[in-house]
Amino acid sequence: MAGEPPGIARPGSRGLAVTRHTGGNGSGAAFLALSGTLLAAVALSISTGSVTIPLRKIADALLHGGDDTPARILLSLRLPRALLGVLVGGALASSGVAFQALLRNPLADPYILGVSGGAAVGALTVALFLAAGASPALPLFAFIGAALAALSVFLLARRKSGVSPERLILMGVVVGAFLNAVIMLMVTLSPPGKIPGALYWLMGDLGLGTPRRVGVLLPYVALGVAVLFLLSRGMDLLLLGDHAAFQTGLSVERVKTATYLTASLLAGSVVAVSGLIGFVGLIVPHGARALVGSGHRRLLPAAFLLGGAFLVISDTIARSASPAGELPVGAVTALAGAPFFLYLLRRNGGRS
Amino acid sequence: MTAPLLSARRLSFGYGERDVLRDVDLDLSPGQVTILLGPNGSGKSTMIKVLSGVLSPRSGEVMLQGRPPRSFDRREMARLLSVVGQDPPVDFPMTVEAYVALGRFPHQGFFGGTSAADREEVEGALATTGLAPLRDRALSAISAGERQRATVARAIAQGALVMLLDEPTAFLDIRHRVAFYEIVTRLAGVRGVAALVASHDLSLCAEYGERIVLLSGGTVSSQGRPEEVLTPENVRAAYGVAVACDRNPATGAVRVTPLRGAPPGTSYPRS
Repeated sequence: MAGEPPGIARPGSRGLAVTRHTGGNGSGAAFLALSGTLLAAVALSISTGSVTIPLRKIADALLHGGDDTPARILLSLRLPRALLGVLVGGALASSGVAFQALLRNPLADPYILGVSGGAAVGALTVALFLAAGASPALPLFAFIGAALAALSVFLLARRKSGVSPERLILMGVVVGAFLNAVIMLMVTLSPPGKIPGALYWLMGDLGLGTPRRVGVLLPYVALGVAVLFLLSRGMDLLLLGDHAAFQTGLSVERVKTATYLTASLLAGSVVAVSGLIGFVGLIVPHGARALVGSGHRRLLPAAFLLGGAFLVISDTIARSASPAGELPVGAVTALAGAPFFLYLLRRNGGRS
Repeated sequence: MTAPLLSARRLSFGYGERDVLRDVDLDLSPGQVTILLGPNGSGKSTMIKVLSGVLSPRSGEVMLQGRPPRSFDRREMARLLSVVGQDPPVDFPMTVEAYVALGRFPHQGFFGGTSAADREEVEGALATTGLAPLRDRALSAISAGERQRATVARAIAQGALVMLLDEPTAFLDIRHRVAFYEIVTRLAGVRGVAALVASHDLSLCAEYGERIVLLSGGTVSSQGRPEEVLTPENVRAAYGVAVACDRNPATGAVRVTPLRGAPPGTSYPRS
């Protein structure tokens, strides 16, 4: 009979059953570091601006309130803006994680896929042509726009042999360019008084009317992030590919539909309140994976924390880069994100 | 003879006009290793997809423990039947251990965590396939052969009694091929697994397969014990190559040796 090569144990006689809690301690430290980074980013953001507010004053105002000018700037302007940055950055990063798992494509991101463009068309439809002051409905329309854009990109990119990463990105660019034209057309045809505001919003900003926007966005982000977290095991399995996930016991179609709708909801609601901010959903998941690995139960919270910190810091740079005025935060994230995307594209193309 | 764990009767499948499988009968019994042979494009992979429920047959029926696959809940079915097929993902930094642990999914709640039993099964699968030293490496950082062993480890961790393996030894060297067949044979012996292994490796199949199913043009052209199936006539009809079949003096198993000469449909390069 054929012999048994050395180094191969027999099934049933399973060597040393070492109990290991994989990644336990390592990811604990990572989460501590991420939370610390987020807190530091928020502290930096709220102390920076035309009036520099020292940290001691910040602590005082947060604990006891206050009526003087620095305290008012802090509580009614800077803190809501930082919180909005955390929500927007966290939601975009979570949406990016979900799209990447859904498409098995590390280059996926709501902005690159044209999903954000679809959301912008949805939101503009309400803002420019429907009832004024219907802002609570904005995220819902943006969600519909985002979901439709994502669906068209998937369908256009699909081939019998499957979806190649490069083809998906190409279709995202095509759909995105088309939607950009639609956006420009809508803005041009809108009432003249609304044009400057619409243009500024499109470039992605966190500046105007922030406390109300935090209130509008919070329930959508909370819902979306919670649903994604519940889907995290399913997303782990989606990385195996449809057939293998199915054969391992996943109801693939159900999980994919839920992931797609939730990721579109997150991207759409964010676009509705803060316009087009690109590349957060691309860069942040990669950074988070490097820290905690690909398991979504750890990856999702890590990406949320890192996304929040990344956008708050980007916004701080956008506010303080020029003495003449503010840059749109979308410009800052694109400055960092576009080169990173090229790097990933080269690395990805080199392997396949 | 015990009842088969998986059986197929008059199974047919096609894409559009083109028939891929026609009237295939198959039984997989507990403790038995069945080898699925056949040339490229003969329908081996399609058969595994139909048997595992990924594709629905055009006609005929599949029975898993006496029930049609559609009557099972997805996880329930994955606890009974596992598949080694698709390559593992390399675009995401997943470790070997995390990948193998995904095989435990059908035993866990959708939201639930990892139990001691899960960890023990994963350890067992890593040890069985010799991957324990590579557990913390990324799937993209190991060789194609090691990745192939990882897919086998994931299926072992899944703990199903029926295992369908689609060319699991294609990238393996001779040492790991032998190790693979040893593992499958022992899973059949120790756990009573019913295994179907699609393969191109005629000699090792004869050595390890208790039963061979030869697929040709979408139909079963012959099936039975290795010495019944692996005859020069059958091999020539299926693969279009002339072979000599004799007994291996060391083991007594059938030995298939290809004879020189261009198979039909190929031509010599012109000088």
